[in-house]
Parts: sequence; C-alpha cells; structure tokens
Amino acid sequence: MRRPVDVGDPDRLYTVTGGRSRSDGSSFDLVTLIVAECEPAVGQQSEHARILELCRHPTAVVEIAAELSLPITVVRILLEDLQATGRITPRHPRVAASATLPDSALLTEVLHGLRNL
Amino acid sequence: MTQPADRRPDRTSNTRRTAYTLPVCLLAVAAVAGAAVTALAPVDARGWAGAAAAGGWVLLVVAVCVGIAKANGLRARAAEAEDELHRIRAQLDSRTAEDMGLAQVTVPAVARLAREGVAPDEVLRQTRPPALPSQRELLRVCVTALADSEHRAAAAAAAGRSAADDVTRMSDDVRRLATETLPAVVDKLRGGASVDRVLAGMRWPQDPVLRDLTEAAVRELALSERRAAAAQAASAKALSRVQAKSVSMLADLRDMQDRHGEEVFGDLLAIDHSTSQLGLMTDRLALLMGGRSSRAWNKPIVMESILRGAVGRIAAYQRVRLHCSTRVAVVGFAAEGVMHLLAELTDNAANFSPPTDEVHVYVEESRTGVVITIEDSGLRMSEAALRRAEESVSGQMTDLALLQGTRLGLAVVGRLAVKYGMNVSFRPSARGGTGVVVLLPPQLIAQQVQAERAPATTPAPAAGAPALSGADAVPAPRPAGDTRTAPAAHTAHTEDTGTPRHAAPTEGTGPRHAAPDEHSPARERTADGPDEHGQVAGHARHGGTQSTPGTPGAQSTPGTPNTPGTPGAPNTPGTPSTQNPADGGTDGRGATFGGLPVRRPGRTMAAAHAELQQRQAAHACGRENAPRTPGTPGPAAGGPEATDGTGGPDGTAPGGQRPQRDIGASFGAFHRARRAADESEPSPRAE
Repeated sequence: MRRPVDVGDPDRLYTVTGGRSRSDGSSFDLVTLIVAECEPAVGQQSEHARILELCRHPTAVVEIAAELSLPITVVRILLEDLQATGRITPRHPRVAASATLPDSALLTEVLHGLRNL
Repeated sequence: MTQPADRRPDRTSNTRRTAYTLPVCLLAVAAVAGAAVTALAPVDARGWAGAAAAGGWVLLVVAVCVGIAKANGLRARAAEAEDELHRIRAQLDSRTAEDMGLAQVTVPAVARLAREGVAPDEVLRQTRPPALPSQRELLRVCVTALADSEHRAAAAAAAGRSAADDVTRMSDDVRRLATETLPAVVDKLRGGASVDRVLAGMRWPQDPVLRDLTEAAVRELALSERRAAAAQAASAKALSRVQAKSVSMLADLRDMQDRHGEEVFGDLLAIDHSTSQLGLMTDRLALLMGGRSSRAWNKPIVMESILRGAVGRIAAYQRVRLHCSTRVAVVGFAAEGVMHLLAELTDNAANFSPPTDEVHVYVEESRTGVVITIEDSGLRMSEAALRRAEESVSGQMTDLALLQGTRLGLAVVGRLAVKYGMNVSFRPSARGGTGVVVLLPPQLIAQQVQAERAPATTPAPAAGAPALSGADAVPAPRPAGDTRTAPAAHTAHTEDTGTPRHAAPTEGTGPRHAAPDEHSPARERTADGPDEHGQVAGHARHGGTQSTPGTPGAQSTPGTPNTPGTPGAPNTPGTPSTQNPADGGTDGRGATFGGLPVRRPGRTMAAAHAELQQRQAAHACGRENAPRTPGTPGPAAGGPEATDGTGGPDGTAPGGQRPQRDIGASFGAFHRARRAADESEPSPRAE
C-alpha cells in the first residue's frame, strides 16, 4: 500500500512551469533544433540552465524532453521562456524532398527484419 | 479567741454581786422602813402595823428570794447559752480553718496528684484525710470527679491528637498524590502502560477513602488516555491510507502528464495541484496525530526542488517567488520535513498577505547552515501575535489540547523544527509584512562530494580520467546524490568483475549481480535500486535527470559507458579471455555472425548498437595491449555497467508492467548513442 520511499522528484510540473499548462505559439516542433545563445547563468531556474547546457550543440526538442524527463508541453513552455529572453534560437527542420526518403513500406520491412534478427 | 472565755467568770461574779446587792439593799431599806413605820405608828396601832410591816417584809423577802432564784436560774442558762455559743463559734472557726486548709492545700494537692494520673484511691491514701467525715466524703467525691474529668480530658486530648494526626497524614497523602503519584501515573499511562500495571506499581495513599478515590481517578484517566490514544491511532491509520492514496494519485498524475498531450495537460496540472494540497492537509493532520509524512526521500534533494515541492503544495503557489541560486541539497531523511515546514510557512505567508502581493522566498548559505527567509508584504504581525507564533513554532506546545481551532500549521512547524533541529523565527519584514527565517543546521545539508568523484571513479589513469571528468562536466541536478552513488557502483562492479570467469556471463546476469550490491552497501544507492526494479512513478524522471534517461544503471558514470572505447580502449586487459570478464559472454551475443547488433526485447536498437561498438573497440584494444592490466576492474567495470545501465530500465520493461512512456526517452538514448559513436574516442559528453 505504502511505498517505503519515494524516488521521484518532489517538484510538481506546475511549479516548473509556474502554473502554465499551454505553450502559446507552439513554434516548437518535436524535432526543432534548439541552439543556446548564451551560457547558463547563476540563479536561473535549473531546467533553463540545463536546456542551455544541452543546447550548446543543436539539440532537438524531443531530446531535451528526454534529457530533462519532462513532458514535451513543459519543455515547450520552458523553451518559450528562453526564446522570449533571446537565450535560444530554434532551427526548424527543412522539409526534405520526398524523393530522397525511402518508402515507408521498405522501412517497415527493414524494421521487421531487424526485429527478427 | 480564747480570751472571751477567760473573761467570763469575772463578768458573772460582778453581775451576781450586783444582783445580790440590790435585793439585800432593798430588803434592808424595806426593813428600815417597816421598823420606822412601826416606830412611828401610834401605839395602839403599833401592833398590827408592826405585824403588817413584818408580814410585808417577809413577803418582800420571799419575793426577793424567788426573784433572785429565778434570776440565778436565768443567769445560769444564759451562761450556758453563752458557753454553747462560744463553743459553737470555736467549732466554726476550726471548721473554717479546716475548710480553708482543705481548699488551699489538700484539694490542689489532690488535683495535682489526679492530674498526674494517680488512681483516686491512691490519691486518698497519699493525702492527709480531713478531720470531718463530711469533708472526707467531700474530698473523696471531689477526687473521684477530678479523676474522672482528668481521664476524660486525657481521652479527649488523645482523640484530638489522633484527629490532628489523621488530618496531617491525609493532607500529606493528598499532597503526595497530587505532586508525585498522579503525575507519575499520568506519565506511565501516556507511555502506554496498562492500568493494572500502573495500579500495581503506584504508591498508594493510606487513607482508604483516598485510595478508592485514587483508583477511580486513575482508572478514569487510563480510560480517557486510551481513548485518546485509540482515536489518534485510528485517525493516523486512516490518514495514512489517504496519504498513500494521494501519493499514488500524484504518481499516476505524473504518469498521465507524460503520456497525454497538451489538450488535457492543464486539467491534469489542476488535479495535480489539488492533490498536492490535499497531501499537505493530510500530512499536517497525520503529523499532529503522530503519524508519518506521506512521502520519504532517500536521496538528497536540491534546494530548488525542496522549495518547489513546498510551494507546489499550497494554493497560492503562483504568488510565491523563489530566489534560489544555491545548489546545496537537503539530506533525504529530512527533505520531506523541510518541505512540509516550508509549505506551512509559505502557506501562512500567502494567506496573510493581500491576494495580489507576492511572497518572496530567499535562500542563502551561511556558516551556520542554510538560511531560508520567507517574506510577505501583508499585515505586520502584532507583538503578541509574533510571540504567539514563536511559541507555537518552538515545539513546546506538543499537546493536542493546546491547539487553537483550525490553526494547526504552526504547531506542525514546531514539531518538525524540533524534530530536525531547525530554527524558525519571526520578525517584521522589510517589505512591510512578516518575515520568517528558517535556519537549516549543517547536518541537514547533504555534503558536496563532487571533489571525491574523480579519484574514486578512475582507478586506472589515461583516457578514463578525462572521459569521466568530461562526464562530470555535464550538469548533474543532484550533485551529491549523483556522486555519492558513483563509488558504490564501482565497488559493486569491481566485486563482480574481480573473478573474471565468474563475471563473464551476459548482460542479463549483470544487473542481477549488481542488484544485491546496489541495495545493500550505500544508502543512497537504494534510491536507485527500486527505481530500476519496477518503480512506476518518477522512474524516468529520476533516471533521466541523472543525465541519461533510460539508463538508470548508469548513475555513476552516465555518459561514459555508452561511449565505445573510452574507458575500455586504453585500459582493458589484454587477453581476450581475461579481457572480457564481463563482456566476453556478451560478445558472442552482442552481435550476430553478420556483425549486426543484437537487440534484446525492450531495448533500443541504439543501445545495442553502442554496446556492440564498445565491445568491439574493447576487443581491439585488448588485443593490442595484451599484457596491460588484467585485473584493473575499473574501466572493465564501466563496460558491464554500461550494459547494465542501458539494459536495466528496459530490462524491467519486459518484466512488465510499464510501457515505454516517452518517445523522448528512446530518442534520447538513440541520439546519445549515435553521437557517441560518431565522436568515438575523445570525451564524448564534453560536447
């Protein structure tokens, strides 16, 4: 019934976002690459600092979410904060020419093949 | 007194003489007169005259004689009466004297004797008996009465003394009962002793009535104590269920927040917030009822998380501004207490300030610990209110009976402050409201063991060190907890790989070997233990924030294991047989004959790929510098650890219940692995 210990973190997500639950612009796609424009500063929210550190190299939004173990929504909100202050720059993915992409059926087959290995 | 008796004869002779003289004279006169009359009478008449005179004289003589005789008789009687009178007077005098003697001498002596307790007969024998029988009788009666009354007086005095003694004893009993016995009994009863045991062990008053009263009082007291204890225990028990429920709700909510998209995210957050507030309320009650907090952390929690965790439990969390630039962490056992305390104080501050004003929380490190200041701009508390607040947070008011209505928060703060040795003080705030200063003593602050980390994790020099320090450079949200696990992990694995052949088996056995070590040696380790093995809530968060999501096993050296060759390349022992104590077996399974990586169920392809590459690199290096260090376990341990790490979380997944929660996790792992593979040798995490 009662777990002996808690292993998560005590901070709830609404405290991370300051109560916001929705990103306004939603200009951040899952695969948008984020680049930090400055170093993390002392006194910053720790998530902001971590994002800035992660994004010294271009990093996808989804990967930031994975690194921070936060839902995408929260990461978007945090990224908007950073973008509003000009600390990051998003790089939206180019839409590749469809010809260069392999057929999805082929990909599925490869996937099955790999699984069957 | 005797003189009158002497005078008496003279007087009687005088009176007798006069008494005789007068009649004689009268007779003589009468005779003379008769003679004269006879002489004078004519001659013829002289005869009868003489006869008459003689006759008259004779008559007179007779009368005088009779008179004298009569007088003598009367006189004799008078003398007799006088004598009688004298005698009686003398008798009276003597009796008076005796009476006086009796009254002034005898009776006091008798009284003294009687008072001395001599028996009445003895008293009479010792006393000179009075002359008169009446006096003797009187004395006897007197002595008897005196003895009787004396007896009664003694009895009365004894009764009075015993009564006074009784009163004294009873008052002593009562006093002892009030000052010693009853407090001791109350203490024992509060301590949980049974009423019979207490009654058997207590010091009874002597008075039976008091004894009955005491027994009745003690039994009643025991009953009410038991009732109170039962009520407390019942409510604590019930509350613990509520607590468990709310904790699991929070975990579920966190899970949902990860799984569901933006459309319900806001609602989930709202429910989350309500549940957190509920948790604060139940925790508050549970603590007051002698229960426990709903949560317990066994790893250090950084101050920022402490503050957020505290603020997240109050209604007006959006009005609270946190100013926290320190990276200190609070030790796990006290983290929940600190959080609850801060939540209560922040809640107080938010409730007593205008709904538009902000509450500011400052954290600063000082020599004496960490100082947390909560300032509001609400009403300035009056002196009395400040004093009352100080009193209630001093922890002295531990009795539930002293609680005022619904103002439970500060009482809880007091208990927590006493429990963890925190110091809470109130003062007027510079912002206009009230400031609360909380001092966390140094023993509640987790030690920063950052410095120990590098030497501990690099038993072998060369490339291992930079690689690890590169990994170090990656910001770890919980430095203390993170680093503390590092040595433990390594020792665990050195033990594993110390016997080369034994440790050779596949990755599958790796975690199994590591698991017992993980749980036992270091306490911080156990935080990760349950995490790996099927903990639902916060699993990915925890593992992820360490640095590599989905690789909880990699707590110690998060990035390194995934970088093929970094640790393994230079150091791994040479001969293939010894070189891969842990890897050897997996090498066979790590790749197909065609050279493709083998992916275990539930693991990402990327992880398998990285592992394979690493193994190959290790192989290569091992062959190159064969005689190097067959025994150096450190880097070799890095290898299996990595495999454990990547295998760990997903290894739990097939065991079951937990679906892949976040596509981000697998993507992150893949990305990392790819990046590591691309960048290969040099410090991969130092990007």
